[in-house]
Amino acid sequence: MPSKPRTKSKKSDGGRPRKEKPCSICARGIEYIDYKDLALLKPFLNERAKIKARRTSGACASCQKHLSAAVKNAREMALIPYTTR
Amino acid sequence: MRRYEMMLIVTDEVEEDAAKAVVERAKSAFDAQGGRILDEAWWGKRALAYEIGKRDHGYYAVLDVEASAEAVAEVERQLKILDEVVRLKTVRPDVRIRAAG
Repeated sequence: MPSKPRTKSKKSDGGRPRKEKPCSICARGIEYIDYKDLALLKPFLNERAKIKARRTSGACASCQKHLSAAVKNAREMALIPYTTR
Repeated sequence: MRRYEMMLIVTDEVEEDAAKAVVERAKSAFDAQGGRILDEAWWGKRALAYEIGKRDHGYYAVLDVEASAEAVAEVERQLKILDEVVRLKTVRPDVRIRAAG
């Protein structure tokens, strides 16, 4: 399950290390990612209803894993489309 | 005995009362298998994100139960036989957020 927020620095193109944003799920203290909670999942989908990549979503490894599982469950239950257009 | 959460989609070809009867049937099936209903939620008629069997709406219901794995398998088997049940999903939530029963 999501652990405590962690920040690590990563070199950006400019060469200066840039501090990575902490995972928004961990920061909010959510301990269970529910597939029924569409308000929680929606920000992690792009406009084509695809799951955002980890580098775009800013979710940590464990949150991203639980998120993608939740999105897939929600898709099966027709709460979220598989794709739009 | 473990906590499970079952979501059901019932076809909107039937009336709301008939759809609720399907949920009642699921509950009595759990009772018959020695399970305990902790909570239930009726979402009502809801638009599906995509067409399932040429229908774009369905009745949603969520049941929180405490039951054995065998009981869940048996209830799922019984429900899948019903034509009214479009889809069902049972998950085992790790942590409970919603207070139940």
